[in-house]
Amino acid sequence: MTTEQGTTQSGQPKRPGLTKGVCSEFTILANIKPGQAEAMRAAIAAVSSEENEPASRAALQEIGTLHDARHVIFDSDTRYLFASVFDGSWDTYIDDFAKTAIGANLDRIFSNAEGFPGIKDPTVKDWVAAHQASALGFATSYPDLTVQQIWKDQRANQAFQEVLDTSEFRAALDNPANAALLATPAFQKLLDQAQG
Amino acid sequence: MSEAASTSGPGVSVEIDDIQSGALHARPSPYVGRFFLLRIDDRHAGRAMLGRMLPATEGGLPTVNPDQGAWVTVALTFQGLRALGVPQESLDSFPPEFQQGMAARAEHLGDTGESDPAQWEKPFGTPDVHMGIVALAPDAERLQKALEHERAALQETPGVEIIWQQEVHQLPGGRTSFGFRDGISHPGIEGVGSGTNPHEAPLKAGEFILGYPDETGNLPPMPQPEVLGRNGTYLAVRKLHTKVAAWRQYLRSNSSSPEEEGLLGAKMVGRWPSGAPLTLSPDHDDEALGADPHRNNAFGYKENDDRGLKCPAGAHIRRINPRDATIVGATRLHRIIRRGTSYGPPLPEGVLEDDGADRGLIGVFIGAHLDRQFEFIKSEWVEDGNFIGFSGEKDPVAGHHDGTGTMTVPAKPVRRRLQNLPSFVVTRGGEYCFLPSLSALRWLSELKG
Ligand code: HEM
Repeated sequence: MTTEQGTTQSGQPKRPGLTKGVCSEFTILANIKPGQAEAMRAAIAAVSSEENEPASRAALQEIGTLHDARHVIFDSDTRYLFASVFDGSWDTYIDDFAKTAIGANLDRIFSNAEGFPGIKDPTVKDWVAAHQASALGFATSYPDLTVQQIWKDQRANQAFQEVLDTSEFRAALDNPANAALLATPAFQKLLDQAQG
Repeated sequence: MSEAASTSGPGVSVEIDDIQSGALHARPSPYVGRFFLLRIDDRHAGRAMLGRMLPATEGGLPTVNPDQGAWVTVALTFQGLRALGVPQESLDSFPPEFQQGMAARAEHLGDTGESDPAQWEKPFGTPDVHMGIVALAPDAERLQKALEHERAALQETPGVEIIWQQEVHQLPGGRTSFGFRDGISHPGIEGVGSGTNPHEAPLKAGEFILGYPDETGNLPPMPQPEVLGRNGTYLAVRKLHTKVAAWRQYLRSNSSSPEEEGLLGAKMVGRWPSGAPLTLSPDHDDEALGADPHRNNAFGYKENDDRGLKCPAGAHIRRINPRDATIVGATRLHRIIRRGTSYGPPLPEGVLEDDGADRGLIGVFIGAHLDRQFEFIKSEWVEDGNFIGFSGEKDPVAGHHDGTGTMTVPAKPVRRRLQNLPSFVVTRGGEYCFLPSLSALRWLSELKG
């Protein structure tokens, strides 16, 4: 798998950012408006707090393509960094994104950065492109998995583990009527995973 | 993501009479028609041609039943606008994907392999395509009448030449070459008219017509000057060859009875041949339902079929309009108006061998945003499946498969997974066109210099 310069998904000029398999890295660097660092910190804290965890989870569910995201304030409260990894290319879904809870949260945080026009503003793509810094390196342990697939894999594994916990499953393995099924290479792979 | 609510009331007043009729109303049924592509060798001739076409180009909603009239639609490619001598700063105000043209977007659109622009029927994808004219009528006689004007205009205008044409006609029962009824589902537009699905609120006018707010609350980016852009829209025109024999063979070899074959085809399309939607009739076709305009599009997916046990999330009609189903993204930002017309002879019923005939449809997809409507739909919804949780799975009907395609068909107790899907559709050509308003056509015809 090679890391590629992100291919553009709209007719816009080529976007910065590296792509690996199905995922892209996305880093924004911006100047904080003078005197706004506290307001920005508060906006970040509001969405990152313990109490907000359920809402934050729900918001991520709603998006369904965001692997992770972090906010950093640095250089003595003058600069801000947003770094994330997500499926696909950001501009494909940016209009959809503006309609979500996460879009609203980011709007509140980013509005403390210089020049940010607002997430629903038609020029937001230009602002983002101008403030995006391409990573020099980008590695991921699961380049072929989208967030959707990871969630599905997790649900499937949880269900599989629960099946393994039942005595009925053990009995079915010992039942000669199931011998043909057990002998298939596909089922052997499943049993391989069942060993621990 | 949940359905986005409309942000403004239906109080928008749309200048319907300035919008070319072809964008606004459904084609007649039955229909015959003709598509033309033209090259403008001389900008003065091109302008004169537009001027002569104006009286034959209708605006607004039909005053009579669409089955009664005949109409002509005139559209221009980016190269065409340039050939007419539209000022550079105005050309620069068109969106980049339109400036590049459909052929340049091939990779993004999945037009690769057999569908690669290098294989396209000429003159598609070449800089020679400047103008597109579509004439549609309920019968041959009225089509001839509608075309008389165009013919006269052309004769009087050396320097503009027809370089391609295609005759289209409705197949028996309003079906596409695969045998499925088409032309059922249409979105409603605020200030213009209601759609065919009573459960879908009409979309903001700016989704389909330039100069009005769209679903994001903004005005769509509009080419300048205002008289050129306002009340215009964009068309993605595609000639799609259909491999009907391959389709029938695939259904035959992946089922064990005619009933199973019928169900398999329906699972891939999302409707039965009559047009009856699987969501409302999951187990068998229902001719009465298919023919009933009050019922055949009156449904959503979320309440009764979010998992897709009736209509798979991967079925053509559910991918391409997920309605209220749970997906990644907001459906209302990716809706499109469709004017599909059939060309070529039907493959006789029961035939499983390819007869070499060219048949398929000229698909016309209309919207104010080529990038987040046609291009998004084709790349995210037709050529990938991550938005419905099946990353890498493509549209079983319209997707570009290389013989290894899969489709998950949800079922109890165990889903079925279709394997080794080939492409059933080949892109033979396509163009992005701008559909100017009547005032813009006049403005173009009166350009100086
Ligand atoms: C040759 C290829 C294609 C065939 C044979 C085909 C056939 C059909 C059929 C039979 C229907 C159901 C009728 C209806 O709901 O009105 C349909 C619906 C639709 N098709 Fe296609 N189609 C093709 C390609 C495309 C492409 C490339 C697009 C868009 C990029 C598209 C967009 C749509 C849309 C938006 C609907 C309406 C879905 C709904 O609202 O439920 N089709 N098509």
